[in-house]
Amino acid sequence: MHLPDGFLAPQLALALWVATAAIVGFALRRLSASSDEASAAQRPILMGIVGAFIFAAQLFNFPVAAGTSGHLLGGVLAGYLLGPWAGTIVMTTVIGIQALIFQDGGLLALGANIFNMGIIGTLGGALVARSIATALGGSRVATIAAAGVAGWLSVMAGAGVTTLQLGLSGTTDVSIGLPAMLGIHALIGIGEGLITIAALTFIATTAPDLLTLGAPTRASATRRILVGSGISLLVAALAALFASADPDGLQRVALTLGFHTAANTPPFELFPGYTIPGIDSATGTLLIAVVGVGIIFTAILLLSRIAARRGRQ
Amino acid sequence: MARVPGQVDARATVIAALAFILAVALMPAGAYVAMAAAWLLVATAGALRGIAPLTLARRGGIVFPFVLAALPLIFIRSDEVIWEGLVGPLSLHVSGVGLRIALSALLKAWISVQASIVLVATADAPTIVVALRRMRLPDAIATSAGLTIRYLELLRDEAQRMLRARAARSVSPVGVGGERVGGSIAWRARTTGNLVGSLFLRAYARAARVEEAALSRGATGSLSTGSLPTADRYLGVKVLAAVALLLALSAFGQVVPRL
Repeated sequence: MHLPDGFLAPQLALALWVATAAIVGFALRRLSASSDEASAAQRPILMGIVGAFIFAAQLFNFPVAAGTSGHLLGGVLAGYLLGPWAGTIVMTTVIGIQALIFQDGGLLALGANIFNMGIIGTLGGALVARSIATALGGSRVATIAAAGVAGWLSVMAGAGVTTLQLGLSGTTDVSIGLPAMLGIHALIGIGEGLITIAALTFIATTAPDLLTLGAPTRASATRRILVGSGISLLVAALAALFASADPDGLQRVALTLGFHTAANTPPFELFPGYTIPGIDSATGTLLIAVVGVGIIFTAILLLSRIAARRGRQ
Repeated sequence: MARVPGQVDARATVIAALAFILAVALMPAGAYVAMAAAWLLVATAGALRGIAPLTLARRGGIVFPFVLAALPLIFIRSDEVIWEGLVGPLSLHVSGVGLRIALSALLKAWISVQASIVLVATADAPTIVVALRRMRLPDAIATSAGLTIRYLELLRDEAQRMLRARAARSVSPVGVGGERVGGSIAWRARTTGNLVGSLFLRAYARAARVEEAALSRGATGSLSTGSLPTADRYLGVKVLAAVALLLALSAFGQVVPRL
Protein backbone atom coordinates (compact mmCIF):
# COMPACT_ATOMS: atom_id res chain seq x y z
CA MET A 1 0.00 0.00 0.00
CA HIS A 2 2.99 2.32 0.38
CA LEU A 3 3.22 3.88 -3.08
CA PRO A 4 6.79 4.18 -4.31
CA ASP A 5 7.93 7.16 -6.38
CA GLY A 6 7.54 6.87 -10.13
CA PHE A 7 4.00 5.48 -10.25
CA LEU A 8 2.15 8.72 -9.51
CA ALA A 9 1.96 11.62 -11.95
CA PRO A 10 4.14 14.33 -10.37
CA GLN A 11 1.30 16.87 -10.54
CA LEU A 12 -1.01 14.53 -8.62
CA ALA A 13 1.73 13.75 -6.09
CA LEU A 14 2.28 17.47 -5.46
CA ALA A 15 -1.47 18.15 -5.20
CA LEU A 16 -1.78 15.42 -2.58
CA TRP A 17 1.18 16.91 -0.71
CA VAL A 18 -0.71 20.21 -0.56
CA ALA A 19 -3.92 18.52 0.64
CA THR A 20 -2.00 16.47 3.23
CA ALA A 21 -0.11 19.50 4.54
CA ALA A 22 -3.36 21.44 4.92
CA ILE A 23 -5.13 18.66 6.83
CA VAL A 24 -2.13 17.81 9.02
CA GLY A 25 -1.74 21.54 9.73
CA PHE A 26 -5.37 21.63 10.84
CA ALA A 27 -4.78 18.59 13.08
CA LEU A 28 -1.79 20.36 14.65
CA ARG A 29 -3.91 23.42 15.36
CA ARG A 30 -6.54 21.23 16.97
CA LEU A 31 -3.83 19.68 19.14
CA SER A 32 -2.45 22.97 20.37
CA ALA A 33 -5.98 24.25 20.99
CA SER A 34 -6.68 21.34 23.33
CA SER A 35 -6.36 22.38 26.95
CA ASP A 36 -7.05 19.05 28.64
CA GLU A 37 -3.81 18.18 30.45
CA ALA A 38 -4.55 14.47 30.58
CA SER A 39 -5.38 14.08 26.88
CA ALA A 40 -2.85 12.70 24.45
CA ALA A 41 -2.70 16.03 22.65
CA GLN A 42 -0.74 17.61 25.48
CA ARG A 43 1.69 14.73 25.79
CA PRO A 44 4.35 14.83 23.06
CA ILE A 45 6.41 12.07 24.69
CA LEU A 46 3.41 9.73 24.71
CA MET A 47 2.78 10.50 21.04
CA GLY A 48 6.38 9.73 20.11
CA ILE A 49 6.45 6.43 21.98
CA VAL A 50 3.06 5.41 20.59
CA GLY A 51 4.57 6.06 17.13
CA ALA A 52 7.27 3.51 17.94
CA PHE A 53 4.51 1.19 19.24
CA ILE A 54 2.65 1.40 15.90
CA PHE A 55 5.88 0.48 14.09
CA ALA A 56 6.38 -2.52 16.36
CA ALA A 57 2.70 -3.53 16.24
CA GLN A 58 2.93 -3.76 12.45
CA LEU A 59 5.23 -6.74 13.03
CA PHE A 60 2.37 -8.68 14.56
CA ASN A 61 0.91 -10.93 11.95
CA PHE A 62 -1.35 -13.84 12.33
CA PRO A 63 -1.79 -16.78 10.00
CA VAL A 64 -5.07 -16.66 8.05
CA ALA A 65 -4.33 -19.80 6.10
CA ALA A 66 -1.05 -21.51 5.29
CA GLY A 67 1.01 -19.08 3.24
CA THR A 68 -0.97 -15.90 3.83
CA SER A 69 -1.09 -13.83 6.93
CA GLY A 70 -3.01 -10.86 8.15
CA HIS A 71 -1.20 -8.03 9.82
CA LEU A 72 -1.97 -4.77 11.47
CA LEU A 73 -1.64 -1.28 9.97
CA GLY A 74 -2.82 0.33 13.18
CA GLY A 75 -4.38 3.48 11.74
CA VAL A 76 -7.74 3.19 13.47
CA LEU A 77 -6.10 1.81 16.61
CA ALA A 78 -3.87 4.90 16.87
CA GLY A 79 -6.82 7.19 16.19
CA TYR A 80 -8.81 5.41 18.84
CA LEU A 81 -6.19 5.33 21.55
CA LEU A 82 -5.00 8.91 21.13
CA GLY A 83 -7.98 10.58 19.50
CA PRO A 84 -8.29 11.37 15.77
CA TRP A 85 -6.03 14.44 15.77
CA ALA A 86 -3.14 13.14 17.84
CA GLY A 87 -3.51 9.78 16.07
CA THR A 88 -3.22 11.48 12.68
CA ILE A 89 -0.02 13.23 13.74
CA VAL A 90 1.43 9.95 15.01
CA MET A 91 0.56 8.10 11.79
CA THR A 92 1.96 10.99 9.71
CA THR A 93 5.21 10.62 11.62
CA VAL A 94 5.24 6.84 11.26
CA ILE A 95 4.59 6.94 7.51
CA GLY A 96 7.17 9.71 7.11
CA ILE A 97 9.84 7.70 8.94
CA GLN A 98 8.96 4.60 6.92
CA ALA A 99 9.58 6.56 3.71
CA LEU A 100 12.63 8.54 4.84
CA ILE A 101 14.50 5.87 6.70
CA PHE A 102 13.20 2.50 5.57
CA GLN A 103 12.40 3.32 1.91
CA ASP A 104 8.91 1.97 2.46
CA GLY A 105 7.07 4.32 0.10
CA GLY A 106 8.48 7.16 -1.98
CA LEU A 107 9.35 10.70 -0.90
CA LEU A 108 7.44 12.51 -3.65
CA ALA A 109 4.64 10.01 -3.04
CA LEU A 110 4.82 10.60 0.72
CA GLY A 111 2.02 13.17 0.57
CA ALA A 112 -0.18 10.59 -1.13
CA ASN A 113 0.79 7.85 1.32
CA ILE A 114 0.04 10.03 4.35
CA PHE A 115 -3.23 11.02 2.71
CA ASN A 116 -4.27 7.43 1.95
CA MET A 117 -3.24 5.83 5.23
CA GLY A 118 -2.85 8.58 7.81
CA ILE A 119 -5.69 10.87 6.86
CA ILE A 120 -8.24 8.51 5.30
CA GLY A 121 -7.16 5.63 7.55
CA THR A 122 -6.65 7.27 10.92
CA LEU A 123 -8.54 10.57 10.83
CA GLY A 124 -11.37 9.25 8.64
CA GLY A 125 -11.31 5.85 10.36
CA ALA A 126 -11.45 7.25 13.89
CA LEU A 127 -14.21 9.72 13.01
CA VAL A 128 -16.24 6.98 11.31
CA ALA A 129 -15.66 4.69 14.31
CA ARG A 130 -16.94 7.35 16.69
CA SER A 131 -20.01 8.01 14.56
CA ILE A 132 -20.84 4.32 14.30
CA ALA A 133 -20.32 3.90 18.05
CA THR A 134 -22.65 6.81 18.77
CA ALA A 135 -25.22 5.42 16.35
CA LEU A 136 -25.03 2.01 18.06
CA GLY A 137 -25.73 3.55 21.43
CA GLY A 138 -22.25 4.24 22.73
CA SER A 139 -21.83 1.21 25.01
CA ARG A 140 -18.37 -0.29 25.39
CA VAL A 141 -19.15 -3.26 23.15
CA ALA A 142 -20.57 -0.93 20.49
CA THR A 143 -17.52 1.29 20.71
CA ILE A 144 -15.11 -1.56 20.18
CA ALA A 145 -17.17 -3.18 17.43
CA ALA A 146 -17.31 0.19 15.67
CA ALA A 147 -13.50 0.36 15.76
CA GLY A 148 -13.36 -3.06 14.09
CA VAL A 149 -15.72 -1.98 11.31
CA ALA A 150 -13.75 1.25 10.85
CA GLY A 151 -10.53 -0.77 10.74
CA TRP A 152 -11.89 -2.83 7.85
CA LEU A 153 -13.23 0.27 6.09
CA SER A 154 -9.93 2.13 6.49
CA VAL A 155 -8.03 -0.64 4.71
CA MET A 156 -10.63 -0.80 1.91
CA ALA A 157 -10.78 2.98 1.45
CA GLY A 158 -7.00 3.27 1.46
CA ALA A 159 -6.65 0.55 -1.17
CA GLY A 160 -9.44 1.99 -3.31
CA VAL A 161 -8.14 5.56 -3.25
CA THR A 162 -4.60 4.37 -3.95
CA THR A 163 -5.84 2.52 -7.03
CA LEU A 164 -7.82 5.55 -8.22
CA GLN A 165 -4.70 7.69 -7.85
CA LEU A 166 -2.72 5.20 -9.93
CA GLY A 167 -5.53 5.23 -12.49
CA LEU A 168 -5.44 9.04 -12.68
CA SER A 169 -1.68 8.83 -13.16
CA GLY A 170 -2.19 6.41 -16.04
CA THR A 171 -0.11 3.68 -14.43
CA THR A 172 -2.83 1.15 -13.79
CA ASP A 173 -6.00 -0.06 -15.39
CA VAL A 174 -8.74 0.78 -12.93
CA SER A 175 -11.32 -1.64 -14.33
CA ILE A 176 -8.95 -4.51 -13.45
CA GLY A 177 -6.95 -2.96 -10.64
CA LEU A 178 -9.81 -1.79 -8.46
CA PRO A 179 -11.69 -5.08 -8.14
CA ALA A 180 -8.35 -6.86 -7.60
CA MET A 181 -7.14 -4.44 -4.93
CA LEU A 182 -10.48 -4.28 -3.15
CA GLY A 183 -10.80 -8.07 -3.31
CA ILE A 184 -7.43 -8.65 -1.67
CA HIS A 185 -7.90 -5.88 0.86
CA ALA A 186 -11.33 -7.10 1.87
CA LEU A 187 -9.43 -10.05 3.40
CA ILE A 188 -6.53 -8.00 4.76
CA GLY A 189 -9.08 -5.63 6.26
CA ILE A 190 -10.73 -8.47 8.18
CA GLY A 191 -7.38 -9.11 9.86
CA GLU A 192 -7.07 -5.41 10.66
CA GLY A 193 -10.60 -5.25 12.07
CA LEU A 194 -10.26 -8.39 14.21
CA ILE A 195 -6.88 -7.40 15.67
CA THR A 196 -8.16 -3.87 16.39
CA ILE A 197 -11.17 -5.31 18.23
CA ALA A 198 -9.04 -7.77 20.21
CA ALA A 199 -6.41 -5.17 21.13
CA LEU A 200 -9.04 -2.67 22.31
CA THR A 201 -10.89 -5.37 24.26
CA PHE A 202 -7.64 -6.29 25.98
CA ILE A 203 -6.88 -2.67 26.86
CA ALA A 204 -10.47 -2.02 27.97
CA THR A 205 -10.29 -5.02 30.30
CA THR A 206 -6.81 -4.39 31.67
CA ALA A 207 -6.63 -0.61 31.85
CA PRO A 208 -10.04 0.88 31.04
CA ASP A 209 -9.01 4.41 32.02
CA LEU A 210 -6.50 4.52 29.14
CA LEU A 211 -9.32 4.43 26.60
CA THR A 212 -10.31 7.93 27.62
CA LEU A 213 -7.02 9.35 26.33
CA GLY A 214 -8.55 10.12 22.98
CA ALA A 215 -12.03 10.80 24.29
CA PRO A 216 -13.95 13.30 22.20
CA THR A 217 -14.63 16.75 23.50
CA ARG A 218 -18.29 17.64 23.48
CA ALA A 219 -18.06 20.56 21.08
CA SER A 220 -16.45 18.57 18.31
CA ALA A 221 -19.63 17.00 16.90
CA THR A 222 -20.21 19.67 14.27
CA ARG A 223 -16.58 19.61 13.27
CA ARG A 224 -16.78 15.84 13.03
CA ILE A 225 -19.58 16.08 10.51
CA LEU A 226 -17.77 18.81 8.58
CA VAL A 227 -14.59 16.78 8.38
CA GLY A 228 -16.43 13.57 7.53
CA SER A 229 -18.36 15.27 4.76
CA GLY A 230 -15.14 16.88 3.58
CA ILE A 231 -13.52 13.49 3.23
CA SER A 232 -16.56 12.08 1.42
CA LEU A 233 -16.53 15.04 -0.94
CA LEU A 234 -12.84 14.52 -1.63
CA VAL A 235 -13.49 10.90 -2.48
CA ALA A 236 -16.41 11.90 -4.69
CA ALA A 237 -14.31 14.61 -6.33
CA LEU A 238 -11.56 12.11 -7.08
CA ALA A 239 -14.14 9.82 -8.62
CA ALA A 240 -15.72 12.62 -10.62
CA LEU A 241 -12.34 13.68 -11.96
CA PHE A 242 -11.78 10.16 -12.92
CA ALA A 243 -15.15 9.92 -14.65
CA SER A 244 -14.64 12.98 -16.79
CA ALA A 245 -13.15 10.51 -19.28
CA ASP A 246 -10.38 12.81 -20.45
CA PRO A 247 -7.20 14.11 -18.90
CA ASP A 248 -8.84 17.55 -18.77
CA GLY A 249 -10.18 16.79 -15.31
CA LEU A 250 -6.75 16.57 -13.80
CA GLN A 251 -5.61 19.58 -15.77
CA ARG A 252 -8.50 21.54 -14.34
CA VAL A 253 -7.36 20.59 -10.86
CA ALA A 254 -3.85 21.54 -11.86
CA LEU A 255 -5.20 24.91 -12.99
CA THR A 256 -6.96 25.64 -9.73
CA LEU A 257 -3.97 24.53 -7.73
CA GLY A 258 -1.62 26.69 -9.74
CA PHE A 259 0.21 23.99 -11.57
CA HIS A 260 -1.24 25.04 -14.91
CA THR A 261 1.96 26.61 -16.12
CA ALA A 262 3.79 23.42 -15.33
CA ALA A 263 1.08 21.36 -16.96
CA ASN A 264 0.77 23.39 -20.14
CA THR A 265 4.34 24.04 -21.13
CA PRO A 266 5.67 21.10 -23.14
CA PRO A 267 8.55 20.19 -20.79
CA PHE A 268 6.06 19.24 -18.12
CA GLU A 269 3.34 17.78 -20.27
CA LEU A 270 0.80 16.04 -18.09
CA PHE A 271 -0.14 12.94 -20.02
CA PRO A 272 1.94 13.09 -23.17
CA GLY A 273 -0.56 11.69 -25.62
CA TYR A 274 -2.07 9.27 -23.15
CA THR A 275 -5.66 8.91 -22.20
CA ILE A 276 -6.69 7.49 -18.87
CA PRO A 277 -7.36 3.85 -19.59
CA GLY A 278 -10.35 1.87 -18.52
CA ILE A 279 -13.11 4.44 -18.89
CA ASP A 280 -16.11 2.39 -19.91
CA SER A 281 -19.43 1.30 -18.53
CA ALA A 282 -17.72 -0.75 -15.83
CA THR A 283 -16.12 2.44 -14.56
CA GLY A 284 -19.49 4.13 -14.54
CA THR A 285 -20.82 1.46 -12.20
CA LEU A 286 -17.76 1.85 -10.08
CA LEU A 287 -18.16 5.58 -9.93
CA ILE A 288 -21.72 5.16 -8.72
CA ALA A 289 -20.38 2.80 -6.06
CA VAL A 290 -17.80 5.32 -4.87
CA VAL A 291 -20.29 8.19 -4.77
CA GLY A 292 -22.73 5.86 -3.05
CA VAL A 293 -20.19 5.11 -0.34
CA GLY A 294 -19.69 8.85 0.09
CA ILE A 295 -23.43 9.41 0.48
CA ILE A 296 -23.80 6.54 2.95
CA PHE A 297 -20.82 7.84 4.91
CA THR A 298 -22.33 11.31 5.12
CA ALA A 299 -25.70 9.82 6.01
CA ILE A 300 -24.18 7.79 8.86
CA LEU A 301 -22.53 10.92 10.21
CA LEU A 302 -25.72 12.96 10.03
CA LEU A 303 -27.87 10.18 11.49
CA SER A 304 -25.52 9.62 14.39
CA ARG A 305 -25.60 13.34 15.08
CA ILE A 306 -29.38 13.16 15.24
CA ALA A 307 -29.20 10.03 17.39
CA ALA A 308 -26.78 11.70 19.77
CA ARG A 309 -29.08 14.73 20.12
CA ARG A 310 -32.09 12.51 20.73
CA GLY A 311 -30.15 10.53 23.29
CA ARG A 312 -29.25 13.62 25.25
CA GLN A 313 -32.83 14.86 25.54
CA MET B 1 35.81 12.67 10.31
CA ALA B 2 33.61 11.50 13.14
CA ARG B 3 30.23 13.15 13.01
CA VAL B 4 27.88 13.66 15.89
CA PRO B 5 24.30 12.77 14.89
CA GLY B 6 22.18 15.85 14.47
CA GLN B 7 25.18 18.19 14.49
CA VAL B 8 25.42 18.54 10.74
CA ASP B 9 23.19 20.78 8.65
CA ALA B 10 21.79 18.27 6.18
CA ARG B 11 19.27 20.58 4.54
CA ALA B 12 21.14 20.71 1.25
CA THR B 13 21.30 16.90 1.10
CA VAL B 14 17.58 16.55 1.78
CA ILE B 15 16.64 19.20 -0.80
CA ALA B 16 18.97 17.67 -3.39
CA ALA B 17 17.44 14.22 -2.91
CA LEU B 18 13.90 15.60 -3.24
CA ALA B 19 14.85 17.64 -6.34
CA PHE B 20 16.38 14.55 -7.89
CA ILE B 21 13.32 12.41 -7.23
CA LEU B 22 11.05 15.13 -8.65
CA ALA B 23 13.23 15.37 -11.77
CA VAL B 24 13.01 11.61 -12.27
CA ALA B 25 9.23 11.68 -11.76
CA LEU B 26 8.90 14.38 -14.44
CA MET B 27 10.71 12.30 -17.07
CA PRO B 28 8.33 11.20 -19.82
CA ALA B 29 7.65 7.52 -20.34
CA GLY B 30 10.20 5.94 -22.63
CA ALA B 31 13.01 8.40 -21.88
CA TYR B 32 15.29 5.50 -20.98
CA VAL B 33 18.49 7.37 -21.89
CA ALA B 34 17.69 10.09 -19.35
CA MET B 35 16.77 7.45 -16.77
CA ALA B 36 20.12 5.75 -17.34
CA ALA B 37 21.83 9.11 -16.82
CA ALA B 38 19.85 9.64 -13.62
CA TRP B 39 20.85 6.19 -12.39
CA LEU B 40 24.51 6.93 -13.11
CA LEU B 41 24.16 10.10 -11.07
CA VAL B 42 22.65 8.33 -8.07
CA ALA B 43 25.14 5.47 -8.39
CA THR B 44 27.98 8.01 -8.33
CA ALA B 45 26.57 9.65 -5.21
CA GLY B 46 26.22 6.19 -3.67
CA ALA B 47 29.76 5.19 -4.55
CA LEU B 48 31.03 8.40 -2.92
CA ARG B 49 29.27 7.25 0.25
CA GLY B 50 30.86 3.83 -0.10
CA ILE B 51 27.88 1.90 -1.48
CA ALA B 52 28.77 -0.34 -4.41
CA PRO B 53 26.50 0.32 -7.43
CA LEU B 54 25.34 -3.27 -7.65
CA THR B 55 24.50 -3.37 -3.95
CA LEU B 56 22.55 -0.16 -4.41
CA ALA B 57 20.78 -1.59 -7.46
CA ARG B 58 19.90 -4.77 -5.58
CA ARG B 59 18.57 -2.89 -2.56
CA GLY B 60 16.47 -0.76 -4.92
CA GLY B 61 14.79 -3.99 -6.00
CA ILE B 62 12.36 -3.73 -3.09
CA VAL B 63 10.05 -1.73 -5.40
CA PHE B 64 9.85 -4.44 -8.06
CA PRO B 65 6.69 -6.15 -6.74
CA PHE B 66 4.87 -2.88 -7.27
CA VAL B 67 5.03 -3.30 -11.05
CA LEU B 68 2.03 -5.62 -10.64
CA ALA B 69 -0.10 -2.47 -10.51
CA ALA B 70 0.97 -1.44 -14.01
CA LEU B 71 1.05 -4.92 -15.52
CA PRO B 72 -2.56 -5.03 -16.77
CA LEU B 73 -1.88 -1.98 -18.95
CA ILE B 74 0.40 -4.06 -21.15
CA PHE B 75 -2.45 -6.35 -22.14
CA ILE B 76 -5.40 -3.97 -21.87
CA ARG B 77 -4.28 -1.02 -23.94
CA SER B 78 -4.98 -1.48 -27.61
CA ASP B 79 -2.62 1.13 -29.04
CA GLU B 80 0.65 0.20 -30.74
CA VAL B 81 0.10 -3.53 -30.62
CA ILE B 82 3.50 -5.17 -30.95
CA TRP B 83 2.48 -8.78 -30.48
CA GLU B 84 -0.74 -10.66 -30.84
CA GLY B 85 -1.44 -14.30 -30.37
CA LEU B 86 -3.11 -17.12 -28.56
CA VAL B 87 -1.93 -18.29 -25.17
CA GLY B 88 -3.90 -21.44 -24.51
CA PRO B 89 -7.56 -20.49 -24.79
CA LEU B 90 -6.81 -16.74 -24.39
CA SER B 91 -6.23 -14.35 -27.24
CA LEU B 92 -3.70 -11.84 -25.97
CA HIS B 93 -2.04 -8.76 -27.34
CA VAL B 94 0.88 -6.75 -26.01
CA SER B 95 0.60 -2.97 -26.26
CA GLY B 96 3.80 -1.03 -26.84
CA VAL B 97 2.39 1.97 -25.00
CA GLY B 98 1.37 -0.14 -22.02
CA LEU B 99 4.77 -1.79 -21.95
CA ARG B 100 6.47 1.61 -22.02
CA ILE B 101 4.34 3.00 -19.18
CA ALA B 102 4.90 -0.05 -16.97
CA LEU B 103 8.63 -0.21 -17.62
CA SER B 104 9.11 3.55 -17.13
CA ALA B 105 7.18 3.58 -13.84
CA LEU B 106 9.21 0.63 -12.60
CA LEU B 107 12.54 2.23 -13.56
CA LYS B 108 11.55 5.57 -11.99
CA ALA B 109 10.53 3.86 -8.76
CA TRP B 110 13.75 1.86 -8.75
CA ILE B 111 15.97 4.93 -9.35
CA SER B 112 14.08 7.05 -6.79
CA VAL B 113 14.32 4.49 -4.02
CA GLN B 114 18.07 4.29 -4.60
CA ALA B 115 18.22 8.06 -4.16
CA SER B 116 16.57 7.74 -0.75
CA ILE B 117 18.92 4.89 0.18
CA VAL B 118 21.85 7.19 -0.60
CA LEU B 119 20.18 10.00 1.39
CA VAL B 120 19.94 7.80 4.50
CA ALA B 121 23.53 6.67 4.02
CA THR B 122 24.63 10.32 3.84
CA ALA B 123 22.69 11.66 6.81
CA ASP B 124 21.44 9.49 9.68
CA ALA B 125 17.89 9.66 10.98
CA PRO B 126 18.37 12.26 13.76
CA THR B 127 20.33 14.47 11.36
CA ILE B 128 17.49 14.31 8.82
CA VAL B 129 14.95 15.18 11.51
CA VAL B 130 17.04 18.20 12.56
CA ALA B 131 17.33 19.27 8.92
CA LEU B 132 13.55 19.02 8.53
CA ARG B 133 13.09 21.05 11.70
CA ARG B 134 15.22 23.78 10.15
CA MET B 135 12.96 23.53 7.11
CA ARG B 136 9.99 24.48 9.32
CA LEU B 137 8.69 20.99 10.04
CA PRO B 138 6.15 21.65 12.83
CA ASP B 139 7.54 21.12 16.31
CA ALA B 140 4.94 18.51 17.34
CA ILE B 141 5.87 16.32 14.38
CA ALA B 142 9.62 16.78 14.87
CA THR B 143 9.38 15.87 18.56
CA SER B 144 7.17 12.89 17.82
CA ALA B 145 9.47 11.71 15.02
CA GLY B 146 12.59 12.06 17.13
CA LEU B 147 11.08 10.00 19.95
CA THR B 148 9.64 7.42 17.58
CA ILE B 149 13.08 6.87 16.08
CA ARG B 150 14.64 6.66 19.54
CA TYR B 151 12.21 4.02 20.85
CA LEU B 152 11.77 2.10 17.62
CA GLU B 153 14.40 -0.57 18.22
CA LEU B 154 13.38 -1.06 21.82
CA LEU B 155 9.71 -1.68 21.10
CA ARG B 156 10.55 -3.78 18.07
CA ASP B 157 12.71 -6.06 20.18
CA GLU B 158 9.87 -6.29 22.66
CA ALA B 159 7.44 -7.19 19.86
CA GLN B 160 9.81 -9.77 18.49
CA ARG B 161 10.18 -11.42 21.89
CA MET B 162 6.40 -11.61 22.16
CA LEU B 163 6.13 -13.11 18.68
CA ARG B 164 8.76 -15.72 19.53
CA ALA B 165 6.93 -16.62 22.70
CA ARG B 166 3.68 -16.91 20.75
CA ALA B 167 5.30 -19.12 18.09
CA ALA B 168 6.73 -21.36 20.80
CA ARG B 169 3.36 -21.79 22.46
CA SER B 170 0.46 -21.60 20.12
CA VAL B 171 -0.20 -19.86 16.87
CA SER B 172 1.53 -20.95 13.73
CA PRO B 173 -0.13 -21.74 10.42
CA VAL B 174 1.04 -25.32 10.21
CA GLY B 175 2.80 -27.58 12.66
CA VAL B 176 5.88 -29.68 12.06
CA GLY B 177 3.95 -32.51 10.50
CA GLY B 178 1.82 -30.16 8.40
CA GLU B 179 -1.14 -30.23 10.77
CA ARG B 180 -2.87 -27.02 11.69
CA VAL B 181 -1.91 -25.59 15.04
CA GLY B 182 -3.98 -23.17 17.05
CA GLY B 183 -7.66 -22.42 16.91
CA SER B 184 -9.95 -20.72 14.44
CA ILE B 185 -9.08 -17.51 12.62
CA ALA B 186 -11.01 -15.49 15.20
CA TRP B 187 -9.04 -17.20 17.97
CA ARG B 188 -5.73 -16.46 16.26
CA ALA B 189 -6.73 -12.85 15.65
CA ARG B 190 -7.68 -12.52 19.30
CA THR B 191 -4.35 -13.95 20.43
CA THR B 192 -2.53 -11.45 18.20
CA GLY B 193 -4.77 -8.61 19.35
CA ASN B 194 -3.98 -9.41 22.98
CA LEU B 195 -0.27 -9.12 22.18
CA VAL B 196 -0.86 -5.78 20.47
CA GLY B 197 -2.87 -4.59 23.48
CA SER B 198 -0.25 -5.62 25.99
CA LEU B 199 2.50 -4.07 23.90
CA PHE B 200 0.51 -0.84 23.98
CA LEU B 201 0.22 -0.99 27.76
CA ARG B 202 3.98 -1.51 28.05
CA ALA B 203 4.60 1.39 25.66
CA TYR B 204 2.20 3.54 27.66
CA ALA B 205 3.88 2.68 30.96
CA ARG B 206 7.23 3.55 29.44
CA ALA B 207 5.89 6.86 28.13
CA ALA B 208 4.57 7.70 31.59
CA ARG B 209 7.99 6.98 33.12
CA VAL B 210 9.80 9.06 30.49
CA GLU B 211 7.31 11.89 30.99
CA GLU B 212 7.92 11.90 34.73
CA ALA B 213 11.67 11.88 34.23
CA ALA B 214 11.43 14.70 31.69
CA LEU B 215 9.18 16.74 33.96
CA SER B 216 11.47 16.31 36.93
CA ARG B 217 14.28 17.70 34.81
CA GLY B 218 12.28 20.75 33.87
CA ALA B 219 11.03 19.77 30.40
CA THR B 220 8.39 22.08 28.96
CA GLY B 221 6.73 19.77 26.49
CA SER B 222 8.84 20.21 23.41
CA LEU B 223 11.92 18.09 23.02
CA SER B 224 13.19 20.10 20.10
CA THR B 225 14.37 23.12 22.02
CA GLY B 226 18.01 22.06 21.88
CA SER B 227 20.35 24.21 19.85
CA LEU B 228 20.39 23.61 16.13
CA PRO B 229 23.69 22.88 14.44
CA THR B 230 25.52 25.75 12.78
CA ALA B 231 23.86 26.59 9.51
CA ASP B 232 25.56 25.37 6.40
CA ARG B 233 27.30 28.46 5.00
CA TYR B 234 27.03 27.20 1.46
CA LEU B 235 23.38 26.21 1.74
CA GLY B 236 22.23 28.73 -0.89
CA VAL B 237 24.85 27.60 -3.36
CA LYS B 238 24.09 23.92 -2.78
CA VAL B 239 20.34 24.40 -3.15
CA LEU B 240 20.88 26.39 -6.34
CA ALA B 241 23.09 23.59 -7.64
CA ALA B 242 20.39 21.05 -6.75
CA VAL B 243 17.71 23.04 -8.56
CA ALA B 244 20.00 23.50 -11.56
CA LEU B 245 20.49 19.74 -11.54
CA LEU B 246 16.73 19.24 -11.44
CA LEU B 247 16.25 21.55 -14.42
CA ALA B 248 19.10 20.02 -16.40
CA LEU B 249 17.92 16.50 -15.68
CA SER B 250 14.30 17.13 -16.61
CA ALA B 251 15.33 19.09 -19.73
CA PHE B 252 17.54 16.17 -20.67
CA GLY B 253 14.60 13.85 -20.13
CA GLN B 254 12.56 15.88 -22.61
CA VAL B 255 15.11 16.04 -25.43
CA VAL B 256 16.49 12.50 -25.47
CA PRO B 257 14.87 10.22 -28.01
CA ARG B 258 12.15 8.07 -26.48
CA LEU B 259 12.02 4.42 -27.24
